[in-house]
This record gives sequence, structure tokens and C-alpha cells, in this order.
Amino acid sequence: MSHDEQLPDPTPRYGDGPERDGGPGPAAGDAALGSDPFADRDGPDPLAPWLDALDRITAGEILAVAAESGATAKSRQPARADELAERREPRTAGAASPAAPAIQRRRRPRASQPTRTAPPRGQALRRGDESELPPELRLLARLVGDDPARRLAAVGAGIDGWDRFGLSPNALQQAFPIFYALYRSYFRVRSEGHQNLPATGPVVLAANHGGLLPFDGAMAVMDVLLHSEPPRLARAILDRFAGALPWVNVFMARVGQVVGTHENFSRLLDDGEAILVFPEGIDGIRKPITQRYRLQAFHVGFVEHALRAGAPVVPMAILGSDDQAPILFDVKPLARWLGLPAAPITPTFPWFGPVGLLPYPVRYRIVYGEPLCFHERFAASAADDPAVVSALAGQVRRAIQRLIDGKR
Amino acid sequence: MGGVLVTHADLPLGRRIVKLLWYDPGTPRIVALGEGPAPRAFDSFRIGTQPRLVYERLDHARQRSVAELFRSRRLRELEIQSVVYVPRHGASPEGRPVVAHVPTRTAEARLILHQAVEHREIRSLVALGSAFVYQLTPGNANHLLEDSPLDLDPAVPAALRTWIDSDMLFQAEAAGRRLRVTLLRLPTVVASGGFVYLHPLLEGAAGPRLRSAGFDPLCPVIADKDVAHAVLTALASPAVGVFNIAGRERVPLSVLGRWTGRPLLALPGPLLRAAGRSAARLGLGDPFDAPLLRFGMSLDTRRAAAELGFAPRYRIGLERAGDGALRLEAVTA
Repeated sequence: MSHDEQLPDPTPRYGDGPERDGGPGPAAGDAALGSDPFADRDGPDPLAPWLDALDRITAGEILAVAAESGATAKSRQPARADELAERREPRTAGAASPAAPAIQRRRRPRASQPTRTAPPRGQALRRGDESELPPELRLLARLVGDDPARRLAAVGAGIDGWDRFGLSPNALQQAFPIFYALYRSYFRVRSEGHQNLPATGPVVLAANHGGLLPFDGAMAVMDVLLHSEPPRLARAILDRFAGALPWVNVFMARVGQVVGTHENFSRLLDDGEAILVFPEGIDGIRKPITQRYRLQAFHVGFVEHALRAGAPVVPMAILGSDDQAPILFDVKPLARWLGLPAAPITPTFPWFGPVGLLPYPVRYRIVYGEPLCFHERFAASAADDPAVVSALAGQVRRAIQRLIDGKR
Repeated sequence: MGGVLVTHADLPLGRRIVKLLWYDPGTPRIVALGEGPAPRAFDSFRIGTQPRLVYERLDHARQRSVAELFRSRRLRELEIQSVVYVPRHGASPEGRPVVAHVPTRTAEARLILHQAVEHREIRSLVALGSAFVYQLTPGNANHLLEDSPLDLDPAVPAALRTWIDSDMLFQAEAAGRRLRVTLLRLPTVVASGGFVYLHPLLEGAAGPRLRSAGFDPLCPVIADKDVAHAVLTALASPAVGVFNIAGRERVPLSVLGRWTGRPLLALPGPLLRAAGRSAARLGLGDPFDAPLLRFGMSLDTRRAAAELGFAPRYRIGLERAGDGALRLEAVTA
């Protein structure tokens, strides 16, 4: 039916439509309308401080290289001054100063100029051909490297604004440098077994949980994003209490995490997404130091959904999370009184205030186990049998525990 | 399809539906009911001695006036076979309570449904409902299906209670055989120029609103033109029951407020509640506080796509108008 062709004027016009007696609309030029902060490309560049910091790091690196090659401290200062003067003066083509060419190329990349080879450990400084990336991701590529930026672009492709669960690719881009720095430099994540990650289709990644604050989830999501081919964004399932926390719930949703309801779980699998679950739930992150790397009782809902959706379950061991904030004692009455999942006492909390909650810089190791394809052995109707579901969840639990024990 | 009667046709959504029905060759006659004078937009449709569009003034909440209209010979002669129930919405969405403290919207839904069931020639009823009737759990992504539980909490604000009551009235009748009842649950309806309908907080005049700090729920939206298309699709379809209808887009509440000229000021929860109580004491209106202001949702529209064949045709976003201002626009996808 094409009713539009018969309408007098199908083209939407400003001031057209039902508004004549439908209430006052915004006046012409109404600044209150504003624009989407994530879509606004005209505002100040959020990555500018990072880029400035990057330039300073790069300058320091060049000076260090110059020192190694025998340059004197006296000769370094003019080079820096020349470089600053060069930045202030408009450059002409082919007239780059020989004093600081690397700085200028990093600051104002040109397609015709050769890019610098990446240092082996400094992936954050590596740049490739940025011309294929959208402008906002070129800035990110300069910060974190070409490959992570391309991966981020790939997972954000096809999402216009916000997806049905609140994921915003723009918010993801803004948060990515922080978590990339945590991944690379703070937790120094090492991982293995990436070949067990399915390239496409629904998959449930089941991992152990620990560490009071869910940095293990963030690192697992980063690792999947950086090592899956093609790049995939694992959608971590959150406990319901996280959905009621002010600001936290918004941030989690914008970076792709989803509150764990049956409907959400089912819809994510129907969409062919990779889902990251922590079957221990809240019991995992509040377990005391005496229980570290001992898996707690599992919630079994993820097996039900995996069976119904025909999704494999990939067991995943995260080592390091239980060491990032060892809980000496959990004051359960206080937690109940405050309505919190835990009231922990750690070596640093509450003695150093909220700062004491920050994780220690432990090294993370992530290991992916062989996929468990329950759906190949059981019909979808087995999801309705609690005994079967419980037994299969036990298999996943044992698989994760074996991975942990094998790598400790 | 036979003749179609549209309630509240003088309100924005009603006008949009009447316009679309007018251009539908399968609709021989349209009876548009409204409380005010006939909208000027209908002038060109009512030319001639026997126009296809007939406009009648009616107090939808008064039992006597509604019963007289439905039992009149005139309506029989117009051979009305379908009713489109458009709820009260727009600048003054809720009137004063009628008899026995029944809210106006609920009273209207009850009367129209009752008369449609009683009428011999009316075969189908398409009702517009609200998707804010669902119970929302903490989180920004309540994925809602048609059989998701409704919010039957006694603490639900009165503005939402009327939607829930109306919804249950139509659902109860959907199981009947005599009348085909189709209930379309709609999220926030937006129209080009920054107009917004059926959202309990944003509906009404433009201007700032208060919201809870730390929460920015995801709001599914649909263009008013798509609502009219959904109604036409439901009229032509033999399917009955409840259907979620939504557009492709969903935006956070704060962004939707900016887009529609209703900036939302974020206040911490205790302050917001205190402000609401103060406003109520000063007679500035009842405070509106509900889970929908904190927890987001997305509607599962697969049933409507499969059984009604409905797919949204319009995209919603911001466009820069000729005067340089950014305006909400709904354009063909």
C-alpha cells in the first residue's frame, strides 16, 4: 500500500503535521533542542587531552633515543624549541623542519608521508593507513593503534545511535582508551585459546568471577574484542542490582552490558551475539580470600538459554581477578543494612577510603577452553528438565575449574 | 473494510489517522469524532453533498452522548464496520475525573468498547494503547514482549493507571468472538517539529521537566505517521490480540527531551521527591515518579511484523532546518 504517493505533500516540512492544535512546539531557533552529545562532531574533541599527552610521550621517547645515540643535553633543547616554533608557523609542502619530523607527522598525518614503524611494545603508538577509518576513529587510532580502532569500528558498524539494549558506539569509543590502557598497562593481560571463540553465531562465554569490582568482566570483554576474528563485542550479563545503581547502569548499558533477564538473554542469543556470563553471580565477587579461585555455586539459567538457542558454551578462566582485591572479611549484617551485595574488609579498604577499593595491579591471564556443544547432544526441550540443566551446568563448572587449576 | 469511525479525531494522532484513511481507497466512509470544532485540516475532505468524511462533535466520556451516537439511525446509514479508538492525548492528556472518580481516559475506553460490542454492524475495533503499561525491572534494557507482565503495583501513578485500566479492558474483550479487538501498544510517539505524545512525562506543552539523576532510560520511539500506518494495517488484517508497535529508533530520555524541546533537569532522587511533594502542595500538579523514568525498555515487535505485516517506514532523527535550528524529523526510511 503506498498511501504516501497520494498525499498532497509527502515531503516532511517544518511546521507541517499535527502540531497546529497539538500543543506548542519549539520556536524557531530554539537552542533548547540542542543535539545529541554523542552525535555532535562540532564540539571540543574529547580525545584532545589524550593526544597532547601522547605527543609529550612521543617527544620524550625521541629525546631518549637521541640520548642513546650520543646527543648532548645541550642539543636537545633547541630541537624542542624548533619543534614548537614549527608548530606555530604555517608549513608549506615539502618544507618540513629536519629538527622534529616525527612530531609533525604524528600531529598532522598525511597520506603521502610514510608512517613510522611501530615499536614492539608500544602498540598504542602504532599507526597504519588511517585514511580508511572514519574521522572520529582516526583520532582513536592515533591513541590506541590502528588494529584496535578498526575492531571497534567493526563492532559499532550497523548501530545507528543506540541499539535495543542501549549500546552506543560513540560512548564505546570514548571509554575504549581507558580500558585499553587498563588492559595493556595496568593488568597486563595475557590470554590464550582464542581459537575456541566461534567466529559467528550465538555463543555463551562462561567465566569465573572475583575481585569485588567487576574489572574481570571488562578485561574479558576487551580480550574478546581484541582477539576474535572477526571482531566481536561480548555482551556481559549484569546482576539486576547493577541496573538500579545510578550512573553505573547508564555507563554499563552504553558500553554494551545488559541486565540479566530471561528476555534479554534470549533476545541476545537470537541476535547471534556473544554473551559473557559469570554463573557464580554476586557470590563470586564477594568470596573471601580463603576461597580464591574456588568456584561458588552456579546459577544455571545460561545453560537453559544455550540449549534453546543452540549456542555453544565456551568455558573461560580468568586468573588475577581474585588477587586484585582480596577480601579478608565480609561484614554481612552491615551489607544487609546498607542494601549492598557485600561490605568487604580488604588490606586497603576501608582503611584508605574509596581509593582502597581500587584493584591492585595484578597480572591477568585469560584462558578459553574448548566449546561445550550441549545442543548437539540434547534437544532444546532438555532445557525444561532441571536435572539435565543442572548436570550440564556442573560440567561447565568443572571445565572452568580445570582451566583455573591448570594455569595457576 | 467498510466505514471506519475514529475517536478523538480532532487530536494530532486522530487527524493523522483520518488523513491516511481518507487516501485509502478501501475505506468508503469515515466518521471522525472530536470534542472540539472540526479541524481545518479536514475542510478539504468534507466538500460535496455526500462527503466521505463526516465529523461529529462528541463528549467521549459521557455515557449518554456516546450511546445516542452509536444507536442513531445516521450511524447505521453510514455503515460503520470498524472503530479506531484513539485515546485522549496531546496538550491536555487527562481531563477531570468523571462519575465515581473514574479517570476520563478509562471512562472513554469503557464506553467506546461497550458500544462497539453492542453495535450489530461493527465487526472490529483497533485500540491505541501505551507501552508504558509494562512492569519494568531495574536496568536499562527491559526487552518487552506482548505477554510481559503489566505493572499492577498499587503505587503506580494515576496517569499510568488509566493506561493500564484501558489496556486490561481491551484485552478482556480481545478473547470475545463477536468483535475483533486489536490493541496496539505504542511507545513514545513523536512528530516532525518536536512534538511528543503518549509519554507520561514529556507529553504536554514544551518546557523543562525534572528527572532522576544517574538514570537515563532508553525510550523506543515511533513516528506519528507510522502509527497511522499501523492502524491501517491492523484494520486490514484478520489478526486479533495485543501487538507491540515501535519504530526502529530508540533514544535515551535526556536526548529525547532535548530533541523535543523539553530539556530534562537531573535531580538526585531525594531532591526530586521533595520537589514533587512541594509542587503538589503548591497546586502545580501531581508529582510524576515511576520506574519508566529510571529503567529503559525495548519493545519486541516481531509479532506485529509476523501477524500484521507492520514494518516502520519512517526514520526519526535531527535535521537542521532552514533557520539553522536542529529539529526532530521523521523522514521516509
